[in-house]
Amino acid sequence: MATRAADADMAGERRRTRPRPGGTAPEARPNPLREGLRLERMAEPCTMIICGATGDLTDRKLAPALYNTLLGGFLPPEFTVVGFARRELSEKDFRDHLLESINEHSRNRPVKDAIWESFARGIEYHRGDLDDAAAYVELAKRLDRIDRDRGTAGNRLFYLAVPPNLYPEIVNQLDRAGLAAPGARRRTGSKRGWTRVIIEKPFGWDLASARTLNHELAEVFDEEQIYRIDHYLGKETVQNMAVFRFGNGLFEPIWNRRYIDSVQITVAETVGVEGRGEFYDQTGALRDIVQNHGLQLMAVFAMDPPVEFHAEDLRDEKLKVLRGVKPMSPAEVAANTVRGQYVSGWVEGERISSYRDEPEVRPDSETETFVALKLGIDSWRWAGVPFYIRTGKTLPSRVTEIAVQFKRAPLTLFARAGVSQVEPNVLAIRVQPDEGILLRFGAKVPGQGLQIRSVNMDFRYGASFAVDSPDAYETLLLDAMVGDPSLFTRDDEVERAWEILDPILTAWASGEGGPLHFYAAGSWGPPAADELLEREGRTWRKP
Amino acid sequence: MRFGEAESLATPMWEERDTSVHAVAAHLASLWDASVAASADAADAEPVVGEKGMPHARASVLNLIVTVVDGEAADRVVHTLMDLGVRHPSRAIVLVPQPGSDAHPIDARISTHCHDVATGGDRVCYEEVVLTVRGDAAAHLSGVVAPLLIHDLPTSVWWPGDPPFADPVFDQLVEMGDHLIVDSSDFRELLDGLRRLSSVRRRSGVGDLVWERLRWWQELTAQFFDTPRFRRYLPNLSRLHIRYATAPAASRRAEDHEVAPGVAAPMSQALLYAGWIATRLGWRRHRTLEPLADGRFHLRLEGRYEMVDLLVEPTETDTVRPGELLSVRLASVGEAGAAQFIVDRDGDGATVATNADGMTALLRRVAMEPPSEAELLSSQLTMDVVDPLYEDALRAAAILLASAREAAA
Repeated sequence: MATRAADADMAGERRRTRPRPGGTAPEARPNPLREGLRLERMAEPCTMIICGATGDLTDRKLAPALYNTLLGGFLPPEFTVVGFARRELSEKDFRDHLLESINEHSRNRPVKDAIWESFARGIEYHRGDLDDAAAYVELAKRLDRIDRDRGTAGNRLFYLAVPPNLYPEIVNQLDRAGLAAPGARRRTGSKRGWTRVIIEKPFGWDLASARTLNHELAEVFDEEQIYRIDHYLGKETVQNMAVFRFGNGLFEPIWNRRYIDSVQITVAETVGVEGRGEFYDQTGALRDIVQNHGLQLMAVFAMDPPVEFHAEDLRDEKLKVLRGVKPMSPAEVAANTVRGQYVSGWVEGERISSYRDEPEVRPDSETETFVALKLGIDSWRWAGVPFYIRTGKTLPSRVTEIAVQFKRAPLTLFARAGVSQVEPNVLAIRVQPDEGILLRFGAKVPGQGLQIRSVNMDFRYGASFAVDSPDAYETLLLDAMVGDPSLFTRDDEVERAWEILDPILTAWASGEGGPLHFYAAGSWGPPAADELLEREGRTWRKP
Repeated sequence: MRFGEAESLATPMWEERDTSVHAVAAHLASLWDASVAASADAADAEPVVGEKGMPHARASVLNLIVTVVDGEAADRVVHTLMDLGVRHPSRAIVLVPQPGSDAHPIDARISTHCHDVATGGDRVCYEEVVLTVRGDAAAHLSGVVAPLLIHDLPTSVWWPGDPPFADPVFDQLVEMGDHLIVDSSDFRELLDGLRRLSSVRRRSGVGDLVWERLRWWQELTAQFFDTPRFRRYLPNLSRLHIRYATAPAASRRAEDHEVAPGVAAPMSQALLYAGWIATRLGWRRHRTLEPLADGRFHLRLEGRYEMVDLLVEPTETDTVRPGELLSVRLASVGEAGAAQFIVDRDGDGATVATNADGMTALLRRVAMEPPSEAELLSSQLTMDVVDPLYEDALRAAAILLASAREAAA
């Protein structure tokens, strides 16, 4: 008996005719079983090729990130890893090496045996020199074989886990071996699927080198194939800031020059150069932090609402902010920037020697380990609002935050009661270590008199959600596999950042940009950094 | 902090027999007054993020009301709440109604717990109130609880065991909350429970720990069809075979075929899984091939393009909790022939296999550790109060069970 009850229809919607699928093929439609599940996205079957697979980045970041992504259920069974490096290793050696790395560095450890055995079946090692054309030809054959055997559908993600000076060579070799093109344009092998490449910062040394790098990449890859990792953006910061600003009706109306007095962005580290003396001495704080993290935080903070929360819209809005920051003349560099270098001092109870005494640092080095900048954004929203950015090594605490100081109340209503000035309101968005948002405002002290004190209204993600956030690399690797470049930096953003910073580097190098100041390790930078704000009646926050 | 890590008791436990709601509220308020007084000097400090001047921060998440049948159950709930760790609600109120008792109307016990936040050095605290409510007051629990809730926080009502759907007290508390959480595997009368739960959702969001237990099964099933070439098989599914665990016969009550020790309705999870698939794929019930007997039934459903056989059957085992799914097998036919999509559980892991497109047994192992009750509850507390996916599956599960109870066509 066929059931005729009114509740027979479990789907709650209906059709009575049953045409066979026509028009859109089932595989072209979204997966109906994915709808509404917590894991709303899933990597497509693909092969990830790690160029320079035996390096530190693979050990510390990539292998743990892949394992945790797998544990989270985000990787499909077809997912395959190919380690590509010069070192003479067997497949088993490479797998054992990855296993060891995961057991040492993963947030989920020890590795579960059964899970690992299943994952390890999809891990291969391709020995070859990264500048040897024959190695790439063999790699192409291997990838075609993997596509056939494991169903990876021609999807390939190349991760260049090598120093940036090797990027051009690898990219050209990939091109010559026919590995750079997406499936439809491949000369041989699988004719379907996508090809993407991930590169690590630094994206150039200055504007000229960044343009050269972008040009070299663009000769081989389309921009939408290139994923430039800034791991800072892989944290929850971007999404949190976007939700805070655009998911609430309260804040966006006051997010402009009419209500905001100034903005301070602090990226403070307690550590020194930590054995990276040679690299750091050629780089400095401006290139290492401001060019990417500092300006990206500012852009995310200041951008206009995107039309949609999609990669290109987001990146367009960030670029508009950066375009509003006008490059400085040498005189402006001298007036609006402070560079510093640490000398010996104490941080977190430990004695720190001077920067110039660090191994592999030149004894007469002029490299800055601290930067304070005053920038402006020439836009309708931000004209006249100073953005102060500071970053440094061996500072008193490790903290990254954006602090908004609002304009004071227009009248001092309480002056006759003996209250001359009420502190301005501050909204502090802390990115790390304990992510959260604090609003500081004035309140009357209880009692007969009229005293006002600032109090804190505090929100912390840890106290309200307390769920483990994924590591930045987990988020970014999955994004690249899914094809979402929202959290990756586009070529024009990189170049615009260098257009802003190049004049500063030039003015410093020529001596026109002001002197190098010294500060004791464990202090908040040189006094000149304080003066940068004090002359405009402001002070740095002590986060 | 992870589940189950030890916490410290921040203040001495306060316990009073024959007390009043007013006294309980006053004591709760005094806990935070003392904390604020201790930090009064902090107002002079530099503005900081993270309340460094404060000794503790109070969790600012939600209120949780829990209703249990006796003191023993209250202790179990308190233990589970301790295991919630940092995901703890700001204030948990555990109610033990004893309407038949004539003793003093309210006994109260308050304790405060603090723990370190994983991402920072500060500590977050929450309060736990256990109230034994007797006599007439037990029939007016909403009046007892209302003054004790923290204002402007969402309120969840967790009802472990078999909720008294017909009792006015149940209605009172559901009305107070934004979100009702139950465990449908504890329902003594599963069909009635599923149907009543469907009607509750009109007044409150509804969550179910059984649904939470299904999370991995849903993910693994969805993953089969994330791959576009396998998605072709989805419209043509022709068979869904679900096996679920029951306790070995020796420990089961002979007179009731749906009852196992500790789990009143072990079939609940299998039904919700089938209900989920059925609603996602637009299946309708068609015929009962084998009516429900000994926890097993066989239905024929009408898919969009194929008839679908749904077979649900129990398997005795003591390796997993009764009610947990043991295996799911989906069969389909495509242009390249028959296909099978299989998840087979064994212990803390599962084997996932795909036989399709002429590829045999694309196998992998996945972890499937059974989550603790605290983890399940925690997950429910952090999700949206309205879960349309669950509500659809709930309705469909009731329809499937009703069909299974009909005589075979």
